[in-house]
Amino acid sequence: MINQLKDLFRRRELIWILIQRNLKIRYKNSALGVCWSLLSPLFLILIYSVFLGLIRVPIHLPTLVSGIIVWQFHALCLGDSLHCILGNANLVTKAAFPRIILPLSMVGANAVNFFFSFLVLLAYLLVAGTSFGPVWWLPLVVLTHLALSLGLSLIAGSANVFFRDTEHVLSVVMLAWFFMSPVIYEPNMITEAFPAWVQWLFFANPMSGLLTAYRQTLLSHDPVGLEYIALSFAVCWAVLGVGLLVFRGAEPRFGDEL
Amino acid sequence: MSDALTNEPAIVVDKVGKAFRLHASGTRTVKSAMLDLLHRRGAGKKSFWALQDLSFSVGKGETLGIVGANGAGKSTLLSLLAGTKVPTCGSLHTRGVISSLLELGAGFHPDLTGRENVFLAGAIMGLSRKQMRERFDAIVEFANLADFIDQPVKHYSSGMYVRLGFAVSVEVDPDILLIDEVLAVGDENFQKKCLKKIAEFRRSGKTMLIISHDLGTIQSISDRILFLDQGKMIGIGDPHETIGGYRSLSRSRQTRGHEREWGTGEARIKEVLFENAAGDTTDTFSYGDSVRCRIRYQTTKRIEAPIFGFSLSQADTRLVFGSNTQVEGFEIDAIEGEGELILDLRELPVAAGNYLFSFSLHSADHRDNYHRLDYAYSITVLNEDRFEGVCRIPCFWNRG
Repeated sequence: MINQLKDLFRRRELIWILIQRNLKIRYKNSALGVCWSLLSPLFLILIYSVFLGLIRVPIHLPTLVSGIIVWQFHALCLGDSLHCILGNANLVTKAAFPRIILPLSMVGANAVNFFFSFLVLLAYLLVAGTSFGPVWWLPLVVLTHLALSLGLSLIAGSANVFFRDTEHVLSVVMLAWFFMSPVIYEPNMITEAFPAWVQWLFFANPMSGLLTAYRQTLLSHDPVGLEYIALSFAVCWAVLGVGLLVFRGAEPRFGDEL
Repeated sequence: MSDALTNEPAIVVDKVGKAFRLHASGTRTVKSAMLDLLHRRGAGKKSFWALQDLSFSVGKGETLGIVGANGAGKSTLLSLLAGTKVPTCGSLHTRGVISSLLELGAGFHPDLTGRENVFLAGAIMGLSRKQMRERFDAIVEFANLADFIDQPVKHYSSGMYVRLGFAVSVEVDPDILLIDEVLAVGDENFQKKCLKKIAEFRRSGKTMLIISHDLGTIQSISDRILFLDQGKMIGIGDPHETIGGYRSLSRSRQTRGHEREWGTGEARIKEVLFENAAGDTTDTFSYGDSVRCRIRYQTTKRIEAPIFGFSLSQADTRLVFGSNTQVEGFEIDAIEGEGELILDLRELPVAAGNYLFSFSLHSADHRDNYHRLDYAYSITVLNEDRFEGVCRIPCFWNRG
């Protein structure tokens, strides 16, 4: 484990170059380029606020904006993860390097994107004049979020090498997951209406805890019990652990399958 | 450094085997995986051994050529050494930085510029940006791409692509260089440049493994040759001998199955020996060599006015040339008992390849076929200069 971390540190330039490559390629040949990383959440926010208004489920706009931006990062990561090994088949079959660099740099590239949308989010919150919560927790929240993204990418990325069904399964899962997580609603709609065991179940979904934690630090929402958030966070890190194990098992066979 | 250290091999391969699982359909789906799970207990998975029980070592500074027919496992061996595939059994050790020319420019991304791709390729091989900056100019110069280095490589011609790939792989200054059939790419000029670079590598004590179907080149640049066939090592050793072994195996594969023997048996061609100009018995000749065929016969009775014939065919039995003693006006009044007839072919004018000899012994009126040996003997003809067609007709150009 320590040796692997050392190896990754030694290869940090490769990780950085691949992050740059991923970013360059994403916006190559598109007229608006990097603006899309802001435009697409903007459109989503517009659509959902109109929709929620129509069905008379009022939502506080900063809650919606923060939810969409956080979810966007999550969804982009998982979408890209499908191809982080498969799409680099030419590298995997021709050169030896720690394969984990591929999902790592993919999450890294998305994190760079997320960083910029996050800045825009902060600017928006300042302009909107909302009061911030305990922002010093933010690093832990972001780190846990990255752990979840990497863990899921490791699983989805390796699964897709062996089973191309992964893609179809994932698109369904993502849609269900979106509505099961408090992206376009607030968790108190669940916490107030259902018994305690449903709440536990709700927060077993790592995205519930993450979204809630982001909002508590950024928007000083009414605090949900810390034990619920702790559960979500524990799930995030557990996913990373499982992801690393899955990846370690799958890695030696990438060269044969691709 | 002590001798023991310097003599330590750069590559040690110990009882390595590599099996691939065979899937019924190309890509796996969850459904097929489930079916596999169900069947696993029964018949056992089908697997294909691309390499089996392979053991050898390569000394530091040695150049090892690898020959074998398609599917012999040559490329699989190189990918195991490059670390892109993992052996199913056995162990494999390499010392030092490995650069592989498994596929020139494999890691290049079409949307990135030549410059970006060079740095990416360097980072993949484990070089720092600083090290790459130092080598960058040399790479661009070797590839001769100064004007195009900031263009996306998707706009490159295939030749430019290959040049850049080769330049990166050699300029990263690896300890071990793996070369898979790249000597066959690029124009003649660039090939010469590559060979020069390879010779330079050899002199500077780098370890190299080279796969090539160009037997002449590989024989001249290798210290030893490894001969693989159907995943197994047939031999490793002296280039001349090993290549000879490979040639005769591939010749017998290519030419067997056509031979046919028939006749009345009153007279028989016992054997035919082929000799080169030096009088050595051989089955490998070069373009332009003379071939002496010693035809040894045996009869059960006296045979009046027999005719000996021969023909030379390509490996697929297409006739190149044939003649006999009657046509050539060489009269034999009679044969009895044992004897030998000598057939001299001067200046074998045929293209490189494998050829089949047929011999016949029949009566003057062609009614009695005493003995016929169709496609019974095979020879290999080597030729440095390739030409179109089966044989070279001497030609001269003049202004009229």
